[in-house]
Amino acid sequence: MVKKVYLYGLVPTSEYEESVLPEKRGFDDEEVIHALPMGEIAAILCKLDSNAYTESFIEEKMNNDLEWLQKKAFHHHEVLMLLNKLYTVIPLSFCTIYNNEDSLITSISSQMDQLTESISRIYGKEEWNVKVFSNDEILKKKVSDSNSTIEAKRKEISSLPPGKQFFEKKKLDQLVERELEKEREQLCVHIHDELTAYAVQADVKKNWDKKATGRKENMSWNSVYLLEQNEVNRFLEEVKIQEQKMGELGLQMEATGPWPAYHFSRLGQMKK
Amino acid sequence: MPSVRETIENKEVGLIDILDVILDKGVAIKGDLIISIAGVDLVYLDLRVLISSVETLVQSYENNRKDVTSDQFDDERRALVDATGQPNKWTD
Repeated sequence: MVKKVYLYGLVPTSEYEESVLPEKRGFDDEEVIHALPMGEIAAILCKLDSNAYTESFIEEKMNNDLEWLQKKAFHHHEVLMLLNKLYTVIPLSFCTIYNNEDSLITSISSQMDQLTESISRIYGKEEWNVKVFSNDEILKKKVSDSNSTIEAKRKEISSLPPGKQFFEKKKLDQLVERELEKEREQLCVHIHDELTAYAVQADVKKNWDKKATGRKENMSWNSVYLLEQNEVNRFLEEVKIQEQKMGELGLQMEATGPWPAYHFSRLGQMKK
Repeated sequence: MPSVRETIENKEVGLIDILDVILDKGVAIKGDLIISIAGVDLVYLDLRVLISSVETLVQSYENNRKDVTSDQFDDERRALVDATGQPNKWTD
């Protein structure tokens, strides 16, 4: 039976030949992770039992077995972190599986130019992630105390007859809410601009729901930066500075990294 | 004293942080490496759907972790007896 192939990442063959890949069990513990050199690029992969790993099996597991998902996601992460330490790596998305080795070779070979271009783009660089979480109560108080539009509205309301005041106060609450959102967005954009100054490339990603993060605070910003290795310390110092400044406003920052360049090794043009 | 970098590097990352990056390509799957190099031969998933299902899953996983006391269990059993109208099936 022809085996399926789980592809973790793509590395320059020259780098692979210089540093040995440590022995490591594959996605299903049965097979060992190994390299398949294809000219300038080598694929880091493991074989999978074709009968066991069908599309419906994986879909079923992903949707109904969180323990499986967690175990396999950590495995994928662990392998890529190892590859990222050893080589310049184009990391593949979780569960990138080919029906057989020939299909993988055909696919990779046809993209060779773009892949080598992508490798040279991320060479010597690191990918870092910054998330901003906001405690809206603190920020709301700040906004409501210091915003001039709100202050003017409040003065206007106090001169109204009591009956009218009730409805106008309700409207004012909505205004505070809108101003809060505006303020939060502005602060996050400011943080992002300050951090982007250190980056070769930067991008903004989707925020995660509270249900997924399991935190009390809302995720207000999720961004990713590609940094020259020698800029990383300065970047992290800036994160610290912003953290202290934004802390009083109820914004918490969380930096993680260095990650394999999942975001920036994407093929094709990327803008800063 | 460890540097800022070391402190961050050694901090444990959660499942969500990992999924956030390892599904990154999947989120913008159009014109993506996986799709474009694999064509129809690839076993792939709609990762946008996956992300939303992970959000639901994590939540239900957390909700289900609470322990069921024997009182709650008995309550539920009584409710089942009422609902099914088959006392023999649900009592000892």
